[in-house]
Amino acid sequence: MNPYLAGFLLGLTLLASFLILGAGLGASGGLARIAAFSECVVAPAHTRASEYFGPWCDQPLRYYMLFMLVGTFLGGLISALFANRIDFKLERGTKAPAFLRATLAIVGGVLIGFASRLAAGCTSGQALTGGALLLTGSLVFLVCIFAGGYAAAWFVRRQWND
Amino acid sequence: MIETLFARDALSTPMAFGLALLIGVAFGFVLERAGFGSSRRLAGIFYCRDMAVLKVMFSGLVTAMLGIAYLTAFGWISLDSIYLMPTAYGAQIAGGLIFGVGFVLSGWCPGTAAAGLASGKLDALLCLVGAVIGSIIFNEVYPSVAPLQADSGMQFVYANLGMSQPVFALLLTIVAVLAFWGVEYVEHRRKTGTCYFNSSSLKGFGTVLIVFAVGLFIAVPSGGMATDEATSGAEHGASTTVMPGGPDLLADIEAAGDHIEPEELADRLLAGDPGLLLVDVRPPAEFDAFHIRGAQSVELNELETYLQPYQNRGLIVLYSNGMTHPAQARDYLFGRGFQNAYILTDGLTGFIERCLKPASLRSEPVPEDVAVRIASWRAYFLEGAQPTVPYAEPAALASVTLPGLVSTQWLDANRDRDGVRVVDLRPQPEYNSGHIPGALRLDVENLRGNIGGVGSMLLPARMIGEHLSLMGIQPSDVLVLVSGDKVHDVTLVGIGLERVGHERYGVLDGGFGKWMAEGRPTDTALLSVAPTEYPADGLADRFTIDYTEVLRRIQDHSAVIIDVRPADSFSGTKSDEARAGHIPGALNRPYTEDLTGIAQAQRFKPSEALAAEYRKLIPSQDAPVIVHCRTGHQASQTFFVLTHLLGYRSVSWYDAGWSEWSARPELPIESQVAATALAAP
Repeated sequence: MNPYLAGFLLGLTLLASFLILGAGLGASGGLARIAAFSECVVAPAHTRASEYFGPWCDQPLRYYMLFMLVGTFLGGLISALFANRIDFKLERGTKAPAFLRATLAIVGGVLIGFASRLAAGCTSGQALTGGALLLTGSLVFLVCIFAGGYAAAWFVRRQWND
Repeated sequence: MIETLFARDALSTPMAFGLALLIGVAFGFVLERAGFGSSRRLAGIFYCRDMAVLKVMFSGLVTAMLGIAYLTAFGWISLDSIYLMPTAYGAQIAGGLIFGVGFVLSGWCPGTAAAGLASGKLDALLCLVGAVIGSIIFNEVYPSVAPLQADSGMQFVYANLGMSQPVFALLLTIVAVLAFWGVEYVEHRRKTGTCYFNSSSLKGFGTVLIVFAVGLFIAVPSGGMATDEATSGAEHGASTTVMPGGPDLLADIEAAGDHIEPEELADRLLAGDPGLLLVDVRPPAEFDAFHIRGAQSVELNELETYLQPYQNRGLIVLYSNGMTHPAQARDYLFGRGFQNAYILTDGLTGFIERCLKPASLRSEPVPEDVAVRIASWRAYFLEGAQPTVPYAEPAALASVTLPGLVSTQWLDANRDRDGVRVVDLRPQPEYNSGHIPGALRLDVENLRGNIGGVGSMLLPARMIGEHLSLMGIQPSDVLVLVSGDKVHDVTLVGIGLERVGHERYGVLDGGFGKWMAEGRPTDTALLSVAPTEYPADGLADRFTIDYTEVLRRIQDHSAVIIDVRPADSFSGTKSDEARAGHIPGALNRPYTEDLTGIAQAQRFKPSEALAAEYRKLIPSQDAPVIVHCRTGHQASQTFFVLTHLLGYRSVSWYDAGWSEWSARPELPIESQVAATALAAP
């Protein structure tokens, strides 16, 4: 799809979210609820006593962001089905070892999960949503994502080697 | 005006879950269509191989930014009803940097990973599992990183940059369009991917964005949509409020936690409650159109600064049309140490509905006594009638917070209330021959003593607290201070109260003289008092300074020094101290200039007159000011005038005053007498 058309539709989706929900898009909020749920299952007393997840322990999954995350998966699935783009694979450079790519994916995921809790949102919930509202912190976050990304890119370039 | 689920506090309802799911479907669909089901493609931006992320993300951001700006400008939605994330620089800078590293390592962010998982990507699954682990790690280390999340409330970037909203929006749009054009040019030269460089779609889209951004200058009135920008609370802020003491007077409010009911507010305003500060946080235009009588208009982004002098003094009530932003602001203020901020239940809408709607128009029958109350509220709030209950004059109502002036009418109407205590500063014989019923006598000299060799210094908080304990005073009491012929007696006691952190006091306007002249009741009965344990706050006094601080201030010219002694003492023609003259650079404003009338009939000049006179001496209400006299007594009156009647925010009190300064030969002085004497030969 034309990236500008995709961006325009993304903007309309965000607007719809503002108008209907009164909150922007988000994905990491749902992941955090899954995390709270998992920790609650494994160590209920400890989690309940924790300061951050504690208050969610009663009903960790009753949160609109989690439903949005499920929707995001379903939307992606619908689109991928129609475009016949479903392809079970570990995406990496042709010459990159699978182990390297898998390790980086999971380590990167850990960093992302941690950072989105710290910044109270991810690329969608903080950078895009807050950016559209012209909130200072969200735009600072956006700039820092690119700063961090460009700073680290060179060191992990091997995973995309062809 | 669209009412969002957030504004209705309905984001946890099944309907919200269903709608969030549908919005998520649209989100995921667009992400996948944009090609973001591929980590290789996403990571491409960091290797300048594939700039799709930049194109899609900025197109989306600018589209939504313009959309929301137009929708608010046209009044279809208020930012009040959208959740606005607070700015926390530490968390967002550190979080952004870590996130960026994680993004380039994994090739995903949470939303795209969900779309990637749908496309069968194993690395997306690994990334999501990692993100869940990362969230759990965050929970485990939360106590140590929580300080990073200390936020500075709601911050709009254009306001921080000193621009109007349309100017910033236009700049951002131009930057985005230039960036699109730039990356397309590079891709065109490299011949990578589908090229949109000269495409009509890019030209058209770029043009439309800029046209709409320019259009904002017309659509947005007076250059700023976000007039109702809010100071939002931290997500994990505390949410319960503790009033500093006050179980009797404020029990009704405490029961409601952080809310005040419209009827309660209406009655308090009607009764002229001097401890109440009502703040309207709506845009000024809405305030001008209609507001609750007695309210002050303060925009949310200025709220903390404006309210600083009222922190934990009296009662602050915030209202807007609804409750969302006042609630966020209240939580934020609570996090900043304000324990006295409340929100109006159901906002202005509820106030109108519950207090001002005529009894005849109500769907349910209204009992007779309620109908009478409604009629009196309507008369007061809508028709500008004088209050039915005797209360302070309008001038006192304008400064509706303690400490401040309290009128004789208000005191007469409220002196029997629990928690209202009268303290009479007149000499013993006068007190004994007749005082306001229930008044306790206090000699101002009881609060002073020799400290470090300097006589007539205000005693330490601990010792003042002892006096209050013996008088049976509690921190929650509203103290009304009554003077005889020396107004500065009550203001010195006032400073003593502030030293122990007791902000709930008022000065009886006109003192005992006015009370008597109006033929109000007096009494000669001895009071029975049960001693209390007054918990004096030893750290409450941040306004008393010593000579070293004054010296530093005169050396770097960083404060206005006001010497409130009579003019002849200031000039040096009269002296009863070690040296004659004044502190170099000090201005002379005798404390007597703030009063009108003589002896028993003395009272403060009207605030407007005082404000005009002090405006000539002090450049702004935030300018640092030092007041002093000979022993600190008279200067306490100027301190009261500046801080509590006129709202100056940075006033210090040099208690030791001229009696110390003149006796320390190392300190510089100025004297017109000496100057004349030197000039003579």
